[in-house]
Amino acid sequence: MVGASQLALMNRFEAAAYNSDADLLAACRRQDLGAFEQLYLAHGARLKSIAWHLVGNREDAEDAVQETFLKAYRAIGSFHGQSGIGTWLCRIAINVCYDLARKRRLAPEAAGEFPAPKNQLPLRVALEDALKRIHPRHRMVFLLFEVEGMKHSEIASILEVPEGTSKAWLFEAKKELKRLLTEKVP
Amino acid sequence: MIIECADLDRALAIPELMPDARAHAERCERCRHQLYLWGEISRLAPQLHADWESPSLWPRIRAGLAAEPARRVRTPVWRWALAAAAMVAIAGALLGPWRSARAPARDFLTEGALQEVQQAESAYARSIERLSAVAAPGLQQSPGPLAAAYREKLLLLDTAISDLTAHVERNRYNTYLRTELASLYREKQKTLQEWVAYAKRN
Repeated sequence: MVGASQLALMNRFEAAAYNSDADLLAACRRQDLGAFEQLYLAHGARLKSIAWHLVGNREDAEDAVQETFLKAYRAIGSFHGQSGIGTWLCRIAINVCYDLARKRRLAPEAAGEFPAPKNQLPLRVALEDALKRIHPRHRMVFLLFEVEGMKHSEIASILEVPEGTSKAWLFEAKKELKRLLTEKVP
Repeated sequence: MIIECADLDRALAIPELMPDARAHAERCERCRHQLYLWGEISRLAPQLHADWESPSLWPRIRAGLAAEPARRVRTPVWRWALAAAAMVAIAGALLGPWRSARAPARDFLTEGALQEVQQAESAYARSIERLSAVAAPGLQQSPGPLAAAYREKLLLLDTAISDLTAHVERNRYNTYLRTELASLYREKQKTLQEWVAYAKRN
């Protein structure tokens, strides 16, 4: 198993191989697997987390990430850098997850196989539960902004909405969550 | 500004009102709790990032990528442009005499067919919205898990419909997208009908 320190070393090594994002993108366009590995190291963890929140279990989340990279590999020629490559991968991953949920007739985020650690605060558990019950669009913005730390400009690009809409949906998400938590944690 | 309990949500959206909201919360336990939850939501959110070791994931992805056929070397654009120009010139020379008679009819048919499809789609969507209005009150008020599952499914369908509608608007002649949209509407109709039937039985 590759440990965190080895991953960090690999990251540095790969970073040295591609001096800039433009170099990395050019290598991806040549379908250089090393460049795709660099993308995986940089964005894989975030994609896995987003996919897990959307499909509800690890196995499907990993399948979704794999499919994301396959689609990216096939379509890299049509990516012209209009947005960051991480943003582009995110958009692909979200579409893959919705396709997967549609094919399996699953409501996304229905399962949630992670057992709650024993030392978790009740409020965190309640928040995770409440997040499954809010409007999917609001949940998506909340996930990308608050959970995954993305910027509104990136989210706007992923969801193809104006930046103001992303901000408004985040506010609505937090309002819905507050209401649900008020009921649960009086 | 004097903030009342009912103003709290508005104050949360406007940073300038927050000092007044906090002042109100000092006197009001309910609003104090709401402000606490508001802060906690953002504080706890990063902990919802799901992380686990997947040592076999990259090797799987790599194997999948390696199995993909290599992309063909792209023909330079100027060659395509030259070939297209030649084709247009030849087609123009051969079909010139008929073009003026045939082109308007074809355009008219295409636009006419599209309008017909759009009208049918709109009527279908309106009828489903009427069905939705019939089902909505019972569905929203019902506390059971089945109702929650139906609500979730309908939300998902609405999101998918809305997304696909946006794509269709950008690509009006794409029949595949329109067929997909129609199948989503059918699924919504089926879901609503199932719920209405269930509600009648109970």
